Amino acid sequence: MIIVIDALNKQDFPAILDDMFRLRARVFGDRLGWEVEIKNGQEKDKFDALDPAYVIGLDDDGHVVSCVRALQTTGPHMLSDVFSSILHGEPPLRSATVWESTRFCVDTQRLGRGTAPNSVSYATCELMIGSLEYARRSGIKDIVTVIDPVMDRVLKRSDNAPYGYVGKTTPMGKVPAMAALLDCSQERIDRVRNFAGIQGEVFADEARLRETQRVRFDAAKMPASSIRDNLFEYLREQFHAAGSDEERNAVERLAAQLHASAALTTSSPVMDNRIH
Amino acid sequence: MELIDLSDNVGKEAIFRDFLDQICDRFELDHAAYAGVNPVSGTIHGFVNYPDSWKLHYTQMGFDRFDPTLHKAGRSIAPVDWRRLSQDDNYHRVFRDAADFGISEVGLTIPVRGPFGDIGMLSVTRNCKLTEWDLLTKGIMSELQSVAVHIHDTVMRSDSLSKVLRQPNLSRREREVLQWIAAGKSQYDIGDILSISHRTVEVHLRSGREKLYALTTAQAVARAIALGLIYPL
Repeated sequence: MIIVIDALNKQDFPAILDDMFRLRARVFGDRLGWEVEIKNGQEKDKFDALDPAYVIGLDDDGHVVSCVRALQTTGPHMLSDVFSSILHGEPPLRSATVWESTRFCVDTQRLGRGTAPNSVSYATCELMIGSLEYARRSGIKDIVTVIDPVMDRVLKRSDNAPYGYVGKTTPMGKVPAMAALLDCSQERIDRVRNFAGIQGEVFADEARLRETQRVRFDAAKMPASSIRDNLFEYLREQFHAAGSDEERNAVERLAAQLHASAALTTSSPVMDNRIH
Repeated sequence: MELIDLSDNVGKEAIFRDFLDQICDRFELDHAAYAGVNPVSGTIHGFVNYPDSWKLHYTQMGFDRFDPTLHKAGRSIAPVDWRRLSQDDNYHRVFRDAADFGISEVGLTIPVRGPFGDIGMLSVTRNCKLTEWDLLTKGIMSELQSVAVHIHDTVMRSDSLSKVLRQPNLSRREREVLQWIAAGKSQYDIGDILSISHRTVEVHLRSGREKLYALTTAQAVARAIALGLIYPL
C-alpha cells in the first residue's frame, strides 16, 4: 500500500520517514554509489529540507519497500541544481503542471523475485501507480523523473515506458543517470495496473495507518520504561535501607540522574518516580 | 471567455482583483484569493474578491496570523483541499466565523513555489455539496494550477529587481519548438522534424510558454520574437 507524506502530515509518520531515509542510504549510497551524504545510516540532501512530498510503498508487514520524492518544477528542484549536468547547462523544464520526481527506489533486499505482492516488480508498479495517481489528482500532467538505466528498463518492461527524455544520460557514481518523461494520463495508469494485476485502491487509509504507527511507537517504548520503573523501585528500597545520610545522598543523586535521563528519552510523566 | 493576460499590467491591484473575478466566472467558483511572499523585495502581496464585510472581520480578528489555509497549505506541493486542514484548531476559529458571513468551507488552496524562495497561494471556494465540489475540481485542477502560477509569477515580477531576475530562461529545445510553431508546423510535424515524440514537443512548448508568462501559444511566439529568442518569419 502507498502513503503520501508531506510537511502537513509528517509528524504522524516519523518511523516511516526514518525507514525511507535508511532505504535511500542503502540504494543510492551503497548500491548505486552516488555521491550522497549519509548520516546515522540515513540519506538526506538539501531538497529534503524544502518540504517535498514523499510517495512511499509499504509491504504487508508495514515495512518501507519503495519510495520517491516529488517537487514542483516552478521552484528549486534537482534538475535546476545538482542534476544540471544531465541537461548539459540548459535550463530545466518549468511548468505548473510538471513535477520532478527523484530518489525513486525499491528495496531489492527485502523484496522477492517474480510478480507476486512483495516482489520487486509489484512494489515498483504499485509505487508508480501511487505517484501517477497522486500527481494526476493534483492537476499535474507530466513527471520528469531522474532514474538510472536499470529503472528505465524496469519501466519499459512494465508497460510504463517513458515517452521521452530530456538532456543526456550522464555518469553519476557507479551508474549513469537520465531524466525521463512520463505522462500522468489515465491510460498510462491503466496500463501499469493491468501489467501488475493491481485493481483496487493502492493508497492506505491514512487514519488507520496513523493509529497503527502510534501503537507501534508506544510498544517500542515499553521495555525501556518498565526497566526504568524497576530501577526506581530498586533505588526506593536502597533509600529506605540506607544507614547514613551519606548513603541516602548517594541514592538521591543516582535517582536524580535517572530522572533526568528518563525525561530526555520519554514524553510520559516521570514525576511519580520520586524515591520518597 | 479568455483570461486577460496579466503580465502586461504589472503592479495594478485592480487588474489582479479583476483576474480573480475572471477565475471565479470561468471555473464556476464563488470566491478567490491570492497571497504571495516575495523575499527579494521583502513584500507580501494579497488580493481577494471576498465581500468587504468578511475582509474587514478577517482583518479585525487577526485571522491572517493563524489561518491554516495561509500558514499550512504553502508547505504542500499539491493543492490542499481544506478538508485536509480541518483537524487544525485554528481552522475552526476561522471557518466558524466564515459561515456567519456566508463564506463556504468547501475550498482548496494551490501552493506555488518560485525560483527565489518565493511562495504564493491561490485559494478558491464555492458554496456547494462536497460531491459536486469533487466533480468540479477534478475537471479544473490542471487549469487552476496554471492560473495560480501565472498570477504568482506576475505579482512576483511587479518590482523592477525581480523583473530583471525573472528574465525568461528558455532551453535550446524550447526555442526550437517555438521557432517551428512560428513557422506554422503542428506539434506532430515538429515531433517528426526533431525526432522526438509529440508529447515531448508538447511538454517543451508548455514549459516555454509558461516561462514567457504567456497564456496562449500565440502570445508566447510573439514574446519570443520580441525578446529575440526566435527569428520572425
